[in-house]
Amino acid sequence: MPLSNTLYNTFFKRNSVFVATIFAGAFTFGVGFDLGVTAFYDRWNKGKQWKDIRHKYVEEE
Amino acid sequence: MASFQAVKKAVTLAPTVRTLPSGIPAAPLLNLAARAPHDAHSHGHSPAGTRSDSAPHWVGGVSTSPSGLRSKLFTTTSPSANYQQRFIHTSVARKDAPEVPDWSNYRTNPDSNRALSYFMVGSLGVLSASVAKSSVSEFLQTMAASADVLALAKVEVELGAIPEGKNVIIKWRGKPVFIRHRTQSEIEEARTADWKTFRDPESDEDRVKKPEWLVMLGVCTHLGCVPIGEAGDYGGWFCPCHGSHYDISGRARKGPAPLNLEVPAYEFTEGDEKVVIG
Repeated sequence: MPLSNTLYNTFFKRNSVFVATIFAGAFTFGVGFDLGVTAFYDRWNKGKQWKDIRHKYVEEE
Repeated sequence: MASFQAVKKAVTLAPTVRTLPSGIPAAPLLNLAARAPHDAHSHGHSPAGTRSDSAPHWVGGVSTSPSGLRSKLFTTTSPSANYQQRFIHTSVARKDAPEVPDWSNYRTNPDSNRALSYFMVGSLGVLSASVAKSSVSEFLQTMAASADVLALAKVEVELGAIPEGKNVIIKWRGKPVFIRHRTQSEIEEARTADWKTFRDPESDEDRVKKPEWLVMLGVCTHLGCVPIGEAGDYGGWFCPCHGSHYDISGRARKGPAPLNLEVPAYEFTEGDEKVVIG
């Protein structure tokens, strides 16, 4: 079981590293979750949002 | 009598009970109703053959038939004795010593278990932390000004409509804002003044972003009156309430005003054609 031992020794052994990893993971998870949900929302509502139909109504100078 | 006994012994009688070739015992002409002879030692007991614990006739029982004895039950009766099912064993496992089974396949690995436990705890921590962070940030965003409020908080002014040497007073967030298109001589006058001796020392370069455009709040720093433009001893603004004089850079020069006229945040946009205050 080298993988679990490596995992334990790298992240879980010291509580400071554990907590820091959790906070960093929470940050990246939040960013990734936002990006993912936004991408899904845009794909789900493709062609219905203002940014999709703006070129039909606004003439760029 | 004695002769009869001798005859019986001399004649060989056929056996009354025999075994059929199929292995079934056969007893033809058996008198099942025969009673046992009287027992002189039975002291008034029930007659033999009718026992109290025997099954009744309708249950069935042994009877005679042309093919021999027949034993048939018409009902099912529960066994009267302890019933144990016995299986047939053709062989028995021989064991020299009591053997402990090998449980190694069923035992867990403490290392991977520990890593998995901490991983699950950490995953829950990650989820909880992101939920908490999201809650706090969403709550703080409710305190921020909305987009319509932010749009109302800005004022856009066309600068091309202001001739040189003229004042424009506009309303911004409920307060008057002075915009003056200064002439070259006014700029010279504002820059050559010895501003270090003023009550609120501030250079003209710090108060304007472009020398020809002076933008400042039209509220007297004394008690909040609106000063009058192009008036006063210094060619700038004069507050009629208590007689404060401001110069052409909006600096307090005379009277009770403690500070210079305030400069709001503004910026020039669209190639210096417009100024956006706010």
